[in-house]
Amino acid sequence: MTSSRPTLDEARSRLRELGYLDAGVDRLLFRPVFEWRGGAFLIAILLGAFSAALTALAAVESSEPGFALSAAASLSLLAHVFVADLLPAALLALALAAFASRARTPGVAATMAGMVSALLVFALWIGGTYSLGREVSARTLLWAIPIGVVALFLAAAVRLGFLALAFARAGLLPRRTLRRVFAAAAALGLLVAILLLFSRRERPPAPSPQPSPRSAPLVVLAMDGLDLDGAGKNGPAAEVLARGATGWWPAERGSPPEIWTTLATGVDPTMHRVRALTRVRPLGSPLSLRPPWGTGWYLRGIGPRLGLVANAPVSHSDRKSLDFWEVAASAGISSLSVGWWAAGPWPGAVVVENREVFARAADGPGADREALRVFESDSRKGFALSTVYLPGCDIAREDPAARTAAQAPIAELLRREVGRANAGEIVLVVLAADSHPRAGALGRMVVFDGSAAVDGRSDSGSRQKSIQVLPVDAAPSILARMGIPPARDLAGQPVASLFAPGTLETATVLSYGPRVAPPASTAPERDQEYLEKLRSLGYLQ
Amino acid sequence: MPVAVAVEFLHAASLVLDDLPSMDDAPRRRGLPALHLSWGVATAELASVSLLARAFEVVASDEALSRALASRILGELARAVGAEGCCAGQAADLAADPTRLALDDLESIHARKTGALFVAAVRGGALAGGAGERTLSALTLYARNLGLAFQITDDLLDHEGDPESMGKNPAREGHRANFASVLGTDSAHRLVDELLAAAVEALQPIGRRGEVLADLARVVRDRRS
Repeated sequence: MTSSRPTLDEARSRLRELGYLDAGVDRLLFRPVFEWRGGAFLIAILLGAFSAALTALAAVESSEPGFALSAAASLSLLAHVFVADLLPAALLALALAAFASRARTPGVAATMAGMVSALLVFALWIGGTYSLGREVSARTLLWAIPIGVVALFLAAAVRLGFLALAFARAGLLPRRTLRRVFAAAAALGLLVAILLLFSRRERPPAPSPQPSPRSAPLVVLAMDGLDLDGAGKNGPAAEVLARGATGWWPAERGSPPEIWTTLATGVDPTMHRVRALTRVRPLGSPLSLRPPWGTGWYLRGIGPRLGLVANAPVSHSDRKSLDFWEVAASAGISSLSVGWWAAGPWPGAVVVENREVFARAADGPGADREALRVFESDSRKGFALSTVYLPGCDIAREDPAARTAAQAPIAELLRREVGRANAGEIVLVVLAADSHPRAGALGRMVVFDGSAAVDGRSDSGSRQKSIQVLPVDAAPSILARMGIPPARDLAGQPVASLFAPGTLETATVLSYGPRVAPPASTAPERDQEYLEKLRSLGYLQ
Repeated sequence: MPVAVAVEFLHAASLVLDDLPSMDDAPRRRGLPALHLSWGVATAELASVSLLARAFEVVASDEALSRALASRILGELARAVGAEGCCAGQAADLAADPTRLALDDLESIHARKTGALFVAAVRGGALAGGAGERTLSALTLYARNLGLAFQITDDLLDHEGDPESMGKNPAREGHRANFASVLGTDSAHRLVDELLAAAVEALQPIGRRGEVLADLARVVRDRRS
């Protein structure tokens, strides 16, 4: 016998040896729970917010490879999302706390709460990654390691906090740690995530398509807001366009970048991913980004209102599919693009971004003038494929006089280019769509291809053909007319009936591959200038 | 129900014996004079033996129990009060120097004197309800932890409780070493919590059927008398 009083640890240890308590009782669990009680949930809140921030970074990096290589951008995004998600994490913790204090079987409930928390992390990762791109590269799966570890710690922390609160009320704790359950759940979550992401794996890089040479250069005129079904119905532009072979589609409302990128890529917005006019730049980040799923409430909502997140203009980094001039350039065809939305540098192509066009424009007609000045300048001659986007009529849509003024030079341009097409100098494709269409309005692809367009009469003497097509048919049609085999994974397909017989490439390729662009890295000041310009032109409120 | 009645009879019998002058010589039980002080030692001894016999009788005569099951339950009860249970614990208690008991001594006495009856009560009821070996194992763990928590709480109440509400004489118990004095009240309180936690967690394998037993553990924790 000993007269000295045993310490608590000694007594606990001895009782375990005698078969009480349970040797499996997690001492690391018991002790902190007893010491911290409800405070243990703080760890879960912090870990939860960090998990959300990490999944956001993983999603952005998956969409814009190289983003995470910028320490400033990564830390900024992590910090913003972490701080923002402290609030929802705390609210979730409060809900769990209320549940914990009523749980009849706290051990099971705590384990379930931990597992649900971990699953939420995986859901944020998968959802965030999917929201920014439908295809996922293999390196994305490497994020499974840090995310899995964090999810595991979060599950343990949630369980700990849950038990602490359950104990605070009932004084009862489980005797088993259930670590194996968490490990198994984490492994299962990782497996599911990897399978899900792997099922949408990125297309492998594709060899450049080999074109069959075509003689005539191709010119694509893209005209926004001509209103050919309203005030411009009987205008000079409509009169000229009536002479071409027309493919039409019911116009749908959308942001200009979304609509025109669909026309330029031949895939739906769910694939090319250009949606809004703006992306975001968290304070302190040198790079802008598109908010992944689960972060929009802060990066697009509260953050800008608090001055913690700035808007940035839409960027070619958003686009996950190749524009038709990029495909052409990759195939060795000299290409020029002026003024298109979400356009950016591309090897082999001369690309003038629309921010450069807008920078020198004060209004709609001015924007068209600037675009045409660049397009028609001597240094831009000689391209096998050239295209220009003319936004003037769309910008001037609220001002009838300005809109009429914008249409005059467009009509003149059309007459000139149609004349060249009729002379066999070029093949002309006019894309006329409206970002703000009236009800019942149509979008159009009007083709002037040599003998197919002769003074408004076809060879058979009837009115020029007019058939329904899809917006996504425009890009593959243009590419096929350039002699480039259309890719079978495009949503659209060439519309042969609009072109001269036998001129479209009939061979196909499997895919053009993904468009992998570096993160958007323009200076914030330049972005702000561009945004101000978009605001002054009426694109942004 | 017959098993519960039998356990109550056994418990009552053990208390009557425990209060005798040759044992703890306790003057009061449950707020009243001890039985031997009211009716004499001989009557108290006979009452105790009668209660023991009656306990076994109610189980043995229960027609709802098969012969094999009744036999097994009776074995559980007999072990709890016999030479491996209450009797052995009481003998050890009487032989020990009450002022120099260590943790191991206290546990050894408790396990046989009190804990064995906790285990028998739970296992007997479970057997009567048709429990399998896995459930019996879980319930045994529950009963062991609960029993020790109950005993430590009892000792804490001897230290801290209200004599009137307890119906005992804490001052008389004060000179004896017990869990509260050996461990210190803070540690004793903490161990009660942990033992109850372990008891409730032991019920996990039987799910919601263990909720009543979990509530019983909370009753032990909240007990004030």
